[in-house]
Amino acid sequence: MHLIDSKSSDPYFNIATEEFLLRHKKEDYFALYINSPSIIIGKNQNALSEINVEYVKKNKIPVVRRLSGGGAVYHSMGNLNFSFIIKDSKNNFMNFKKFTTPIIEALKGLSINAENTGRNDLVIEGKKFSGNAQFKSKDRFLHHGTLLFSSNISEVSKSLNADTVKFEDKSTKSVAARVTNITDYLKEKITIEEFKELIFKQIIADNLEHHFYEFSAEDLDEINNLVKTKYETWDWNYGYFPKYNFKNKKKFPGGLVEIYLDVEDGIIKNSKIYGDFFSKLDVDDIEKALKDIRHDENKISGTLAKFNIHDYFLNITEDEILGLFF
Amino acid sequence: MSYKEYIYDKFIFKVKNGIYYHKDGCWIEVGGNIATMGVSDLFQTLIGDVASVALYGIGVNIVQGEPMGDIETMKTSIELISPVTGTITEHNKQVTETPELINSDPYGEGWLLKVELKNFESDKLNLMDSSKYFDYMKQQVEEEGRKLGKE
Repeated sequence: MHLIDSKSSDPYFNIATEEFLLRHKKEDYFALYINSPSIIIGKNQNALSEINVEYVKKNKIPVVRRLSGGGAVYHSMGNLNFSFIIKDSKNNFMNFKKFTTPIIEALKGLSINAENTGRNDLVIEGKKFSGNAQFKSKDRFLHHGTLLFSSNISEVSKSLNADTVKFEDKSTKSVAARVTNITDYLKEKITIEEFKELIFKQIIADNLEHHFYEFSAEDLDEINNLVKTKYETWDWNYGYFPKYNFKNKKKFPGGLVEIYLDVEDGIIKNSKIYGDFFSKLDVDDIEKALKDIRHDENKISGTLAKFNIHDYFLNITEDEILGLFF
Repeated sequence: MSYKEYIYDKFIFKVKNGIYYHKDGCWIEVGGNIATMGVSDLFQTLIGDVASVALYGIGVNIVQGEPMGDIETMKTSIELISPVTGTITEHNKQVTETPELINSDPYGEGWLLKVELKNFESDKLNLMDSSKYFDYMKQQVEEEGRKLGKE
């Protein structure tokens, strides 16, 4: 087992590292990493329907799509991530316990009784502290999980509090769970760095053959290339999700406005604006201008800026109209 | 269309005759220049209940042995590996709406997509016919069974 103690807290880098190790390496790896505040969404999720757009924007929280399935998770400096990237042997697949057992064992050493629940969560006294997900491609296999150690739980719920009523799609929906931090159950306080060491010790005890692996300059080039061409891009993080319908409505002093969008690969294919607002000009002009642009705040704001909004929506501001699109 | 069947424990694994199979789990049925693809019964049994399926778009060029989409089960995403090289011409809309069809009828209603073939003669070198795949499948199932038995 090659052990990786990531020096980076950049979520784009750490998530790209997993894909690099899966697609370009043949050996078995175990990595531990901590990401600065970020939202990591499942492969088949609709980013906009999972996040609280306003909160995410205000706090400049990156949203990164990962390779594995499952729901959205909030990462922060109080959350430790573990990741197995290995050659697929037939009994890895769908076997979550094999990968969560070392975590449970390490926690036992801290007198904490953690258990597997359902298929992919770990709980302490019924409260979730770890979500797990997997990805398989050809004969390579990824199992990774979060370990809430000392996260600010209210940040978790604020950033993931999306208004799902607005979206109609076939995406994977996140499931809210009662969560807890590991530190709440520690008899003697330890730091997240010390906790990381304990997890490594457990993996070392389970794998006689092991060594700490440092990335070569070539590895780093490839990982950074993946960051630039995929993980940092809007196309992957927001645009990857194939198709959804968006709807929203709000009553303003100037009247009710309803918006409907058909979105494919992140691009608005069709839009309809209805309501009982007063307008001098036909909103059809705006609907036409929105065609083939991204369902993205900057792009929509740029399109709306081309119009004198008061000619279309009397007594409603441009910002109020923009807000309806998310 | 007839099937070969292999019974292991409580499972029955089916292999449809007259079509080709790729080691990473997809089957392909060729009709002239156009081929229909799906996943094998073995593949759907191993992955379990399918929650969603996402395929590369129509018009996209796919390559034998490279990804063409993915299937998501409970928190696991499994990359679909293309058995041939060609251009996607059609999706099975029914299967994207009702992904359970992949589990209930992998060789029939659960088909995934159609492609225009580029060079099937050379693709064929890396494919198995139903008899070869039947042997390959038996070996996979027995390996799986042995390992599971050990736990």
